[in-house]
Amino acid sequence: MRERLGLLRRSISVGIVTEKYPYKPIEVPEGFRGKPVIDQDKCLGCGACVNACPPNALSMTDDLDRGVRVIKLFLGRCIFCGRCQDVCPVEAIKLTREFELASINHNDLYQEVALVMAKCMVCGRPYTTIRLVEHVASNLPREQRSHLLLCPDCREKHSSKKVSYARW
Amino acid sequence: MQSSATKLVEELGRFGIVEWIDSHTLIVHVDRSKLRDIAKYLHWGIGGYFSVSIGSDERPLDNSFHVYHVFSLDHLGVYVVVDIRVSPGYLHVPSITPIIPGANWHEREVMDYFGIMFDDHPEPKRLILPYNWPKGVYPLRKDYPYNKKVYIEEASDEPEHDSRFAGKYTIIPIGPYHPALHEPEYFELYVDGERIVGARYKGFMVHRGMEKIAESRMTINQIPFLAERICGICGYTHNVAYCQAVENVAGIDVPERAHYIRSIMLEIERIHSHMLWLGIAFHFLGFDTGFMITWRLREKVMDLAEMLTGNRKTYGLNLIGGVRRDIDLSKALKVKKVLRDLRKDYVDYMEKILGLKEIIYRTRGVGVLDYGEARKYSVLGPTARASGIDTDVRKYHPYAAYRHVDFKIPVYKDGDVLSRILVRHEEIIESINIIEQLLDNLPRTPIMAEEIHVPEHRIGVGVTEAPRGEDIHFVITSRDNKIYRWRPRAPSYNNIPALLVMLKDQHLADAPIIIASIDPCFSCTDHVLIIDVRTGSRKQVGLRELSRRGLG
Ligand code: SF4
Ligand code: SF4
Repeated sequence: MRERLGLLRRSISVGIVTEKYPYKPIEVPEGFRGKPVIDQDKCLGCGACVNACPPNALSMTDDLDRGVRVIKLFLGRCIFCGRCQDVCPVEAIKLTREFELASINHNDLYQEVALVMAKCMVCGRPYTTIRLVEHVASNLPREQRSHLLLCPDCREKHSSKKVSYARW
Repeated sequence: MQSSATKLVEELGRFGIVEWIDSHTLIVHVDRSKLRDIAKYLHWGIGGYFSVSIGSDERPLDNSFHVYHVFSLDHLGVYVVVDIRVSPGYLHVPSITPIIPGANWHEREVMDYFGIMFDDHPEPKRLILPYNWPKGVYPLRKDYPYNKKVYIEEASDEPEHDSRFAGKYTIIPIGPYHPALHEPEYFELYVDGERIVGARYKGFMVHRGMEKIAESRMTINQIPFLAERICGICGYTHNVAYCQAVENVAGIDVPERAHYIRSIMLEIERIHSHMLWLGIAFHFLGFDTGFMITWRLREKVMDLAEMLTGNRKTYGLNLIGGVRRDIDLSKALKVKKVLRDLRKDYVDYMEKILGLKEIIYRTRGVGVLDYGEARKYSVLGPTARASGIDTDVRKYHPYAAYRHVDFKIPVYKDGDVLSRILVRHEEIIESINIIEQLLDNLPRTPIMAEEIHVPEHRIGVGVTEAPRGEDIHFVITSRDNKIYRWRPRAPSYNNIPALLVMLKDQHLADAPIIIASIDPCFSCTDHVLIIDVRTGSRKQVGLRELSRRGLG
């Protein structure tokens, strides 16, 4: 009996503990891992986030007809792990504290960045984004920049030609 | 210690070739003729226990299949992997289930996935794949692509009931599915009046082949996030076990601070998991006040997790080699304050609750699993500790930062539901103590290893003490940042088969709390359909109602 009264007393002293959510907003702490957002102006289209993303919520496709590379995020697959944010070289994708993602419109769950692709100087094939070329170039000494304008295949041919000249 | 390990290596040499695969794991390559002897020796001879079996298709590597049985030797702090090579021309291995009943499911799983037969298995039936899965299709073999669809045409010829009981007794099916809950499980109880005379279990209805996905298209650092999703309650422990498996084989030097942070989060997980369980247990006993109290307290622990990791449940904290987030001083102080208050509240409440006579009457002597049976089934965690088995991975195979802390392992002898409540209750308090010690001594090191190089085609074993018991992950590494084989085994895998022993001869009204007492997932416990075989009448009741009024 004593235990019962004790429990009753304590429960009354605690009072109401439920929250009025969703009628009142709920605070989430600093560093909460919510919806990732891609910054259109910063993204280079390097694909690092796509490779890191465990559930394939991020994808990268090259649309050669339009000459653009598309980085696409589908929140329906996202697990809010933040790996994309870890690996992005320019802080273009970041997790926010937003977590109320339910929507009646499927399209609300997609984010897309389309970046114009650079064409290979030799074969003319689009091979990466202009922004990525610029980004890499800005980190390279001037004399090493020229091969950035070639696609990987032509670059290889080009450099092996150089190597064979050297040997010869 | 060193000498006893040397002696062990010598002893095991009688059965086959012995090698160390890391500082605390041995592998013994044995011939099929020696398999039963070594299994008997390890499980019954020197006080080890059977932990898990793994099948593996290594035809691309050495032109054969392999079966690995893993045993834990708690007193030596060593895991022993017994490796049997199986030639593709003769897919037969002697079953060890006649010696260790707990191996039953493990061997059947290998049978389903690889088509390897276990000679003299007492129950060589399908376990995971449905009965109408096409014959000769073995999904975990390497020549089976992960994205290949299987078309099932035939109807299942699975026997509907256990023929030993059906027709003679009333059948009470529990489950198999509730649309609002995940992880369906199906129990069939055979009752004579109010007494349970037998039970049947069927599970694996949501097995989705995550091993296959991981092996086929994920990279080594993506898998931790999938591993975390094995369990909806204690996922982080899977994440840690997987990372440890890879770190052990690669000899990665994980910084001490990362170890501490892992242990802190693992204990936070244990507290919230045990509190969740206590709440559910009280609910099934009809004591909803207790349910409200424990869940209210648990919420504070969930908030701590959210503050420390960015999410209340999926911590997403690990990568191979360390952790991704540090704990700074202000957070550490906050955790300590919350835990201090929590301990006071919790102890006070539990003193009152455990003083309630009804709780004791409903649980003492109920659902007993004695020491002998517990050993036969190799049960784990609190279920084992409530049956007098002194086992705890944290103590006997220390990982993360557990070698730096003091803690007690509660062990009870009665093997009943009450003992399982008491074990978990005391563990909650121990976990709070552990976290406090760790926070006080957080070493100042980086939180991520610098050098990470994973060798190819080597075996790694990672083990943690999950809230429900030993959680073991077995990996075979591969090249290109991939894993060749991954087999996680959660503790409930070993605990659920023992339920059939616990349920025998019990009152029907106690079934819900007995099933819940091993802390399986709870989706199974919602829905009951009663069919009286004699009249054919059906009625549906919730398990909760059943627990209050019996079949009356
Ligand atoms: S948060 Fe994780 S799952 Fe979501 S997009 Fe980034 S990497 Fe992918
Ligand atoms: S978001 Fe960052 S990582 Fe992803 S493609 Fe853009 S720049 Fe690369």
